[in-house]
Amino acid sequence: MTATNHLAGRRIKEQTYWGAVLNKLWRDRITVAAIFGLVVMVSLAVAAPLISDSVLGFSPTMTDLTRRNAPPTWASDAWPTFREFTRTCQSGGAGGCQWSLWGRILASSALGIRDCLTSPRGTCHWMGTDQAGRDVLSRGLYGGRISLRIGLYVASISMTLGVVLGLISGYYAATLIDDIVNAIIQTLGSIPLLFLLIILSRIFQPGPEGLALLIGVFGWMGVSRLIRGQIFSIREREYIAASRAVGASLWRILFHHLLPNVSSIVIVVGIFNVAGAIIAEAGLSYLGVGIGPPMPSWGNMMQGSLGNFTDAPWLVLAPGLFILLTTLAIYLIGDGLRDALDPWVK
Amino acid sequence: MRRSLTRYLVRRGLQSLVLLWLATLIGFTVYQLAPGGPLQFLDDDPKRTAADYNRLAELYGLERPLLVRYLAWFAGEDWFAALPGGQDLQSGQCRADATRCSRGVIRLDFGRSLHFKGMRVIDLIAERIPATFLLGFSSLVISAVVGIPAGIYAALNRGKLPDHIIRVATVLVNTVPEWWIGLLLLIILGGYLGLVPLGGMETIGDGSLLDRLHHLILPALVSAISGWISTSRIIRFEMLEVLNQDYVRTARAKGLRERLVILRHVLPNAILPFVTGLSGILLLFLSGSILFEVVFSWPGMGRLAVLAINSRDYPVMMGLFVISAALGIIGVLMVDVLYGFVDPRVKYEA
Repeated sequence: MTATNHLAGRRIKEQTYWGAVLNKLWRDRITVAAIFGLVVMVSLAVAAPLISDSVLGFSPTMTDLTRRNAPPTWASDAWPTFREFTRTCQSGGAGGCQWSLWGRILASSALGIRDCLTSPRGTCHWMGTDQAGRDVLSRGLYGGRISLRIGLYVASISMTLGVVLGLISGYYAATLIDDIVNAIIQTLGSIPLLFLLIILSRIFQPGPEGLALLIGVFGWMGVSRLIRGQIFSIREREYIAASRAVGASLWRILFHHLLPNVSSIVIVVGIFNVAGAIIAEAGLSYLGVGIGPPMPSWGNMMQGSLGNFTDAPWLVLAPGLFILLTTLAIYLIGDGLRDALDPWVK
Repeated sequence: MRRSLTRYLVRRGLQSLVLLWLATLIGFTVYQLAPGGPLQFLDDDPKRTAADYNRLAELYGLERPLLVRYLAWFAGEDWFAALPGGQDLQSGQCRADATRCSRGVIRLDFGRSLHFKGMRVIDLIAERIPATFLLGFSSLVISAVVGIPAGIYAALNRGKLPDHIIRVATVLVNTVPEWWIGLLLLIILGGYLGLVPLGGMETIGDGSLLDRLHHLILPALVSAISGWISTSRIIRFEMLEVLNQDYVRTARAKGLRERLVILRHVLPNAILPFVTGLSGILLLFLSGSILFEVVFSWPGMGRLAVLAINSRDYPVMMGLFVISAALGIIGVLMVDVLYGFVDPRVKYEA
């Protein structure tokens, strides 16, 4: 009697699996911060036309040949001093650097930032300009639209291929189907795929969708192997045998009974895939075979720096930081989810 | 044991040959898939005419049936002449000059470069293989020299600083392109501080050992980043596994000093997976070399690939693809065999 009262008084809260996952995720501060960071990056990319139009006052394709490779406007005074500093380092070896110059560099930068904040729209390049005099910051914002899109496309293509082939080859392990899938994986796994990707994207010169298709088609092997290994043990369980016994269709067994058991792995790997695809796109575009100009992507923005990277380091730094912030957020979310999807483990 | 090893080697060798053939097939297919065919590069020339197309198509034998072109590409066309009516199957340049006959990729003939006029593709590649290998092996050595001790140290000091460093570094390589790190370091260390050269393999006119080392150090260190991190992770994980084994407890129970326990009993077993990991790292170098070689102006196969791509030099691209695939396949095979020698417990299933 007392026991019932006790229970009634405490009101046991029912907790579903996804409720527990969300709960655990919410308590993980790093993951929450990463989610916030990704939301910021995605909103910046989505709002890129608005921001570059009405806040920055530059269009990402507007060239200004009088201002090629200009340093960030706030650093236009500090930049010559910095170059002077690097010249002292060059001439005298590392010990010869004239560190006292940094006082002037920092002071004029601070002044410059204040001026920039109060200057009218369309006069301050926060991240400098590129080799055609275009504003790097607004190109970076637009570049996010391409890079994030490619990340999502690639992840959906490679995950679909990897999951379906992994499910099938796991379920039919040690049969002809499994052997064929394994042979494909082994072939693709033993050739340098970057070479092939470069050749293919040079020959076909694809747009963002085509490039994503290329990267995705060659990026499913790891997923498939992972899923296959998991399915291999799950398919021996009683409930699979039971559903086979009552005549469930192959489709039902694969997607209703097996897939839900690996869904947490699929989600986590899919998220890591998005980050990997963004990095892969950056590499291809940097080599000049990915996204072509005038469309900006984080990779091809760096391509312009090839000849003059010491004179215009912002061309390397800015797109790289965009990539770093985005992929770091995505990676940390994936990492947090990996823990959260096992919510009952303390 | 000996017999099963031989059978295993034969089986793996045959497998590798099939893989190699598949790689050449992929190469040929891609070559043929190019819209506009192998003569697409002519589009870059504003003075081209339809007659140019026809002349070159005749010269390269592009009007022949697909199967004949494949045979000529794969096995060569010099022996066509011995066949009845085979002369008609040869390309124009082969009929005109027997030394210009394709000898086929099987005899390492990938034709001649379009960009480097008249140069044999295989010579162009052979010239650049040493540079790529130098960079690849240096970073392999650095991966092992840094990664193995780091992994051991992290496993023995779990949850302390080295453990955290490895974890943070892992996040870093997963979230930033390594070539970007290289580019930044090149700007800072090379461009601003003048500590390392801005690229290339040697100063022109110098080329002494010291000068070469000076050029090698930054590219090798940067391209080894992902190698040593994955090595240290593997070693750390395996060390922790092995440390829990009964024989380690026995070794400790009989009063062996901890140093000896680690060096004699734990390490040899924990290091084995590094050997398996080698093949992955090897492939990484072949592919990754492209970006690193571009960043550091390293005169290897990767830079040649980018040159060939920018000038639509398809023969060079195909040659590079097939050669690098072959190197990768041979490397994986060698690692597999090596594994059997390192670990006597491995049973070869023929």
